[in-house]
Amino acid sequence: MDQRAILDHQFTVAAYAITWIIQLGYLAWLAVKWRARKRSAARSRLAPR
Amino acid sequence: MKKLAIGLYAAITAVLLGWGFYQAIYVAPEEQTMHEVQRIFYYHVPSAMVAFLFFAISLAGSIGFLAFRRGRAEWAQICDAWALAGAEVGVVFCTVVLITGPIWGRRAWGIWWTWDARLTTTLVLWLIYVSYLLLRRFAAGPQVQTMAAVLGIFGALDVPIVYMSNRWWRTQHPAPVFGGGPDSGIKDPAMLAAFGWNVVAWLAWGLLILGLRYHVERQQQKLAAQEAQAALDDN
Repeated sequence: MDQRAILDHQFTVAAYAITWIIQLGYLAWLAVKWRARKRSAARSRLAPR
Repeated sequence: MKKLAIGLYAAITAVLLGWGFYQAIYVAPEEQTMHEVQRIFYYHVPSAMVAFLFFAISLAGSIGFLAFRRGRAEWAQICDAWALAGAEVGVVFCTVVLITGPIWGRRAWGIWWTWDARLTTTLVLWLIYVSYLLLRRFAAGPQVQTMAAVLGIFGALDVPIVYMSNRWWRTQHPAPVFGGGPDSGIKDPAMLAAFGWNVVAWLAWGLLILGLRYHVERQQQKLAAQEAQAALDDN
């Protein structure tokens, strides 16, 4: 493998990895937010009026 | 039943993403001038297409909110939730476009960034929707949703400008792959298939997280309404 091909490969891997990190990171943040909302909703149902 | 359907949809999406990745990396042939780095195209362009679609959903939600906010409060809240979900997931995809593009450009052109029309209008689009999200996050008061809806409508006006930018102006960014004249289009069937599978896969993924974001926002709206009602009852 020559130097150009190695660099091409590294740049391609970086682009694919960053795409997955952004998408899965957003999904994880959304899941955390969803759980927090569910807990808040449960608390407000249980709170005495 | 609903949980099963969502689980099934998520499983199909995961399979599609895996298949799209396989097609892009192992099946599609290497492009002759850019070689392996051209494979970034299979993530970069579908992400841009999905971002445009979600900004259009945000536009529809914003218009719906402004149309219904006086007469049909519940419909207005539903439209507002779609507007926010579309803008947020659109920003996620637009971020992918703005990061994968310069990585590709560094190898193809030798530079990370240039202020040409396509890149600049895309950055402006991203900045408008980030400001939309910051407005939603930090501003308070009864007019926030209305101001956000107006900003969302103006932001969406940039989408056709981004799309047409490399048709209207001479750009460093390559000419349009589709709809750019008789020489445009992907000639190799394996490349076209890899591109098509990735469009389908990322669209399926985008719709999944869009639905989840919408659901979270509706939960938030209902919780806020409950708390407001409880505060009124206490007084």
